[in-house]
Amino acid sequence: MLRKSLALAIILLLVLGVVAGCGQQASQQGGDQQQQQEKEIAFTISAEVPNLDPQKATDTYAILVGNAIFEGLIRVHGDGNIQPGMAEKWDVSEDKKTWTFHLRDAKWSDGTPVTAYDFEYAFKRLLDPNTASEYSYQGYYILNGEKFNKGEITDPSQVGVKALDEKTLEIKLENPVKYFESLMSFLSFMPVRKDFVEKMGEKFAADADKLLYNGPFILKEWKHEQELILEKNPNYWNKDAIKIDRVKIYIVNDPNTAYQMYENGETDWEYIPPELVEQVAAEGKAKYFYDGAEFYLQFNVKRPGKPWLANENFQRAVGFAIDREALVKSVMKGVSDPATRYVLPQLAGLEKKFVEEYPYEFYSKNADTAKAKEYLEKAMKELNISDPSKLTFEYLTDDTQRAKLTAEIIQDQLKQNLGIEITVKQVPFKQRLELMNKRDYDVVFAGWGPDYDDPMTYIDMWVTGGGHNNTGWSNKEYDELVKFAKTTDDFKKRADAMFEAEKLLMEKGPIVPVYFRQRAWVCGDHVKGLVTNFVGPTFDFVYADVEK
Amino acid sequence: MGRYILNRLFVSLITAWVLVTLVFFLIRLLPGDPFLSEKVTPEIKANMMKYYGLDKPIHIQYATFLGNLLKGDFGYSLRYKNRTVNEVINQAFPYSADLGIRAVIFAAIAGVTLGIIAALNRNRSWDYLSMFIAIVGVSVPSFVIGPLLQYVFATKLKLLPVSQWKGFAYTIMPTFALSLHSLALMARLMRASMLDVVNQDYIKTAKAKGLSPFQIIWKHQIRNAILPVVTVLGPVTATLLTGTFVVEQIFAIPGLGKFYILGIQNLDYSLVLGMTTFYGLFLIAANFVVDIIYGLVDPRIRLAR
Repeated sequence: MLRKSLALAIILLLVLGVVAGCGQQASQQGGDQQQQQEKEIAFTISAEVPNLDPQKATDTYAILVGNAIFEGLIRVHGDGNIQPGMAEKWDVSEDKKTWTFHLRDAKWSDGTPVTAYDFEYAFKRLLDPNTASEYSYQGYYILNGEKFNKGEITDPSQVGVKALDEKTLEIKLENPVKYFESLMSFLSFMPVRKDFVEKMGEKFAADADKLLYNGPFILKEWKHEQELILEKNPNYWNKDAIKIDRVKIYIVNDPNTAYQMYENGETDWEYIPPELVEQVAAEGKAKYFYDGAEFYLQFNVKRPGKPWLANENFQRAVGFAIDREALVKSVMKGVSDPATRYVLPQLAGLEKKFVEEYPYEFYSKNADTAKAKEYLEKAMKELNISDPSKLTFEYLTDDTQRAKLTAEIIQDQLKQNLGIEITVKQVPFKQRLELMNKRDYDVVFAGWGPDYDDPMTYIDMWVTGGGHNNTGWSNKEYDELVKFAKTTDDFKKRADAMFEAEKLLMEKGPIVPVYFRQRAWVCGDHVKGLVTNFVGPTFDFVYADVEK
Repeated sequence: MGRYILNRLFVSLITAWVLVTLVFFLIRLLPGDPFLSEKVTPEIKANMMKYYGLDKPIHIQYATFLGNLLKGDFGYSLRYKNRTVNEVINQAFPYSADLGIRAVIFAAIAGVTLGIIAALNRNRSWDYLSMFIAIVGVSVPSFVIGPLLQYVFATKLKLLPVSQWKGFAYTIMPTFALSLHSLALMARLMRASMLDVVNQDYIKTAKAKGLSPFQIIWKHQIRNAILPVVTVLGPVTATLLTGTFVVEQIFAIPGLGKFYILGIQNLDYSLVLGMTTFYGLFLIAANFVVDIIYGLVDPRIRLAR
C-alpha cells in the first residue's frame, strides 16, 4: 500500500511539473504575439560585454554593440562603404595632415546636442595616460598623441585635436593616414560628454542608465551575463533609415546551446558549431564570411643553441613543406582559406582590394616538397649540418582542441615532407602571449586580426623595435619601406612600398602564413540587410530589416 | 555548546585567512598578467598596471587587499573594469542559489524517495529500476545529460525553452541536470543505510511491540537511516548553490559558475580572490549548519556534546 502510494505521488509530481511548465510557456508565446507589429531581431553572443566605455572597451562584442548605440564622425557600413555620421561633411588639407569635420544637428539620448567638444574630450580621454586605455595606440596618428600617452608631454592642448566651435572639429595628424576616415568609425573614437563622464566617475558605462547614446539604438536594458536589449533611438538623426524596433542580444556561451536556440526559432542568426558544419553545409543552409583573422608560424630568430631558426632557407623549407589545403580541410572542415601570401585578401587597396592590385603568391596551397627539400639542402649547407633530424624545434601553441589538431597535422607534414621532427608545447592563451613577449619560444603558431582596413595593420608589425615584433627579426630595408609608407602623402607609392615590404617578408622574414580564417554561420531568410565585416563590428544590423 | 561554536568560528577564520593568502600569492605566480593581450604594448600596459595599483611592491598590494577584505570589499574586476567583484557576485549569486536550492530540494526528495523504494523492495523490479536511475545519474556527466534534455524536450518535442532563466519552464531542465548526480548519490546512500538499519535491534523491538509497518518505517527506520544523507547535504548544498560551470554554461544561466573559470583565464586577480573567499566562506558556513542539523536529527549527537 505504502509503496503504491509513494510511486503514485512521484508520478503525480512529475506530471504536475511538466503541465505547469507547459502552461507558462504557452502564456509567454501569447505575449510574444502581441508584440508582433514591432520589428524585432534576436541573436546570441558568447560572452558578456565586459565594458561599453568607448575609450576603454576593446573586445569584439563591445565593438558590435557600440556600432549600434554610438555614432562617430563617420559610419562605415559594409565593405569600405564610408557614410557621414555625426559629421555631415569634412575636408582635408593639401598635405593630408589636417582634417576638418563639420558636425550635423544631432542629439544625445538625454536631448542635449552632440558637439565638437564631446569629440575633443573623447579623443583626449583616449590618449590620457590616466585613463589607462588599452586601445590608446589607436590615437597615435593624431599629432602628439603618442607623446601625450607616454607622458613625454603633459599639456593636453598640444594634442592635435581641437573643437573650433560647437560644430567644427579640427584634427591634425602626425603623418597622412590613408584609412583615416574608416578609423573615425572605430569604437575608440566615439564621442562622450565630459560632464556626464565625470558625474558617473568609475561607474561610467557600467549599466544601461550610466551611458549616453547618440547612435541608431539605445541600450534599454543590460542584464549582466544574461541579455542586452536595444531599442530604436527616437532622437537619432537618420531614424527613418532604421527599420528594426528592438534588438535582443542573449549571452549564451555554449555554442551548441546557441545553435539549438536558432533551430528553435528563438534567434535569427548563429554561428554553426564546428562539429555540425559539414552536416549543415550538406543541407545547403551554411553561409560563410571572413572574420579578418590570419594565422601564421612565427620564428624566434634569436634562439640560443638553435641557429637554424634564424636561417632564411630553413624558414622557407618549413613554409613549403606545409600542405595548407589539407590542413584547412581536416581542421576547419574546409571553412577558411590557405594563406599563400601575407596580406589578408579582404584589405583595401587604392581602388580595389590590395591583393587584386598587387597579385602575388609566394607559397602554394599544397605542399611543394621539391622546393621544400631544395631550401632544406641550402640551409643545411649554410649551417654545416648533414643530418636533417638535428634541425628540430618546439612548436608553441594554445591549449585548445583546434590548436592541438593543427599542431599535429603540421608536425606530421614536416616529418613526411622534410624528415624533421618537432615537438609540440600547448599552453593557455595568456601564457603563450607571455612566452612570446619574453621571446622564450622556438616557433609559435600565432594569429592577428586587423585594426583597420589597410594592409599596414599587418605590415607594420615586424619593424625593428615594433611593439608586436617579438621574433628578434630586424631588417633595415623593411624598416625603411614601412617608414616611407607611413609618412608619404603619395598613396600609390605607399601601396608599392607596402607590396615590396610584403615580398621581402615572405622571402626573408620569420613569418610563414598558414590560413585566413572563415566563419560558418546560418541566418534566417526573413532577415534582410544584415552585413558581416572582417574589421569593426562582426555583424552590422543597423540597417537590417525582417520580413515575416 | 557556546564555547564549542566560538572555537569553531576561530578555526574557520584562520582557515579563511590561510586560503585567501595562499590564493593571493599563487595567482600572481601564474605566468602572464591581467592585461596581457595580443594588441597591448609595454608602455600602455604599464599605464594599466599603475591604474590598478599592480605596479606597487607585492607586500603593499597584499596589505591593501587584506584591509579592503576586512571591509568586505573585493575591489574592481580587472576585466570588467567598471564593475566591482562584489557587484559581480551580488548579481550572479541569486541565480546560482535559486537553481541550487531547487536542485538540492529535488535531489534530496527524489533521492531519498528512490532510496527508500529501493530498500523496501530489495531485489525486486522497483529496486532495480531505482538503482538503474542512480547508476545513470552517477555515471552520465551533466554535459551529456544537459544537451540531451535540450534536444529531446526543446528542439524535438518543443515542450520547454532551450536555455536561459526567465520563469518556471526555464528551470526544469537545468534543475534536473544539476541535481541528477546528487540525487543518485543520495539514493544509493539512503538505500544502503535503510538496509543497514533494518537489522538493528530497535526495529525488532518495534516489530515485537506490534507497531504497524508504516510506523516502523516512518518513525524508526527512515529517521535513523537518513543521517548519512544529511552529512553529504552540507557540501552538496555549498557546491550546488555557489554555481556550477557546466550546467550554467549549457543552459545559459547567468550564475557564478563561469567566473571560477573566466577569472583564472583572464588572470583577473580580484575576481579570483573574491570568488575563492566567497566559496570558502560558504563551504565553511554550510558545514557549520550541517553540524547543527545533525544535532536536531539525532539527539544522541546533541547529548554527546
